[in-house]
Amino acid sequence: MRLVRCLIAFVAVAGFFRLFPLFHVVRLESAAGQAATVFDATQFAETFWTGKLLPSARSSSVDAAVLLPAIQADAAAARKKYSHGAVLGDTYFYFVSGSGRVTSVSDDEVSLRVTKGGHDAEVSIQTGLVFGDALRDGSGMLNPGDFPDSQNFNDISAALDHIAESRVIPALRKQAKIGATVFFAGCAEVDDESTDLKPLKVIPIQTALQ
Amino acid sequence: MKHPLNKLAAIPALALAALCLTPSVWADGKQKIAVVVSTMNNPWFVVLADTARDRAIELGYDATIFDSQNDTAKEAANFENLIAAGYSAVLFNPTDANGSIVNVRKARAAGVPIFCIDREINATDAAVAQLLSDNYAGCVKLGQYFVKTVGQTGTYVELLGLVGDNNTWNRSKGFHSVVDRYPGLKMVAQQSGEFDRAKGLEVMESMLQAHPDINAVFCGNDAMAMGAYQALLAAGKADQVKVFGFDGADDVLKLIAAGKIEATGMQFPKTMARQAAEFADEYLKGKRDFPQKVPVAVQLVTHDNVANYGDYGKK
Repeated sequence: MRLVRCLIAFVAVAGFFRLFPLFHVVRLESAAGQAATVFDATQFAETFWTGKLLPSARSSSVDAAVLLPAIQADAAAARKKYSHGAVLGDTYFYFVSGSGRVTSVSDDEVSLRVTKGGHDAEVSIQTGLVFGDALRDGSGMLNPGDFPDSQNFNDISAALDHIAESRVIPALRKQAKIGATVFFAGCAEVDDESTDLKPLKVIPIQTALQ
Repeated sequence: MKHPLNKLAAIPALALAALCLTPSVWADGKQKIAVVVSTMNNPWFVVLADTARDRAIELGYDATIFDSQNDTAKEAANFENLIAAGYSAVLFNPTDANGSIVNVRKARAAGVPIFCIDREINATDAAVAQLLSDNYAGCVKLGQYFVKTVGQTGTYVELLGLVGDNNTWNRSKGFHSVVDRYPGLKMVAQQSGEFDRAKGLEVMESMLQAHPDINAVFCGNDAMAMGAYQALLAAGKADQVKVFGFDGADDVLKLIAAGKIEATGMQFPKTMARQAAEFADEYLKGKRDFPQKVPVAVQLVTHDNVANYGDYGKK
């Protein structure tokens, strides 16, 4: 009788754990798949760069020949009309493209003179180390509200900066000879208008010798 | 015998009475807004909380500050109390990006809208809006200035903030995104000072014993920068070690002007707090379309431009 009770109890316990197991055994590959759901900023940046930023470099950016005279005429009005960026505060960004003649080359920048319709302005294409959020925020295509953890959003900045440094800037350094005409598209951060607009400092996402 | 329908007829009357007694609208006709702040043991957060409360009062609400004392349990108790007391909205400075989510969800379930200020929660479907300093960008600027003033070689230590707070890591990552590109700059120690001045002093003292020859210290907030500076002063090393903070606290601005501290990142607590109160007011008046995250730009403050800043903002 006692044996039967034990048997019944054993079956009941076994049945319970069959229905509600304490742990699951899964294949390593599927466990790795779960781990892969962790945000991959490098992959995101790559997809954003090739899928959105580059294709919109000409179509969604403002023409430097329009922007630079607009800034010279009225920086506040130009900001209101053409910039992207923080809702509160002094920092903002421009997504800009255009062509200019190389006037000087240094370790950290290539200076271009943009001329159109009697207007004439200088733009500085940054060719040193790239830091900050200009490439992430400059186009206005990424919304911080789409990223629950801002650390992920910030990791995108670092990944985009790396792409510009490793792919775009080395090519520009080779192309940029004084007197050459260069097409550029990129993003500029304006933090202090007294220094950052004179000239506008653009981190390149695309350049080409013309 | 009374008819059962008589009891049913009493229900609307009771509901009306309950509605009249509900404390979200008080006898003076004002709705109540709660300001829940991570700590009042730091002048910067006092400014944040006081400004939020004062703006809410200006907008016609009764407003009360709840101090969570950097304790998630205390914060949870604050939320229990304010929900039970019938507050209409909460201007919220969380203690923990993950740990505070449950409190926001609880308030939301009770119909109380939450507006996060300065610190975020790791969820975009709980608070109505989050007004957040761009800590990463601010510390990129600090990192660039650090390299400019310390140079491309040297040793330094870092005082981190609260390890559960995203601001801690956004600041640290922004700073390191720059400084780590210079292999001659070596970080010899990194430890949490919990955003606290006394703790910052204590940690700096022990770091100085282990690393007496450092060139600089990067602090995740100004309270720790003040503590670190105090430790350096006591050790006779205030002229040897460059101090960098973050917040834009008035006492640090004074030391920057005096050439004792190198730089800080000016957050704009008053701007954020006022905007949060205005968002809450708009929400309570019917608006529902708010951006989930509102970045607030941070400005680099150095000896060159410190005259332009003061009173937790730009003059």
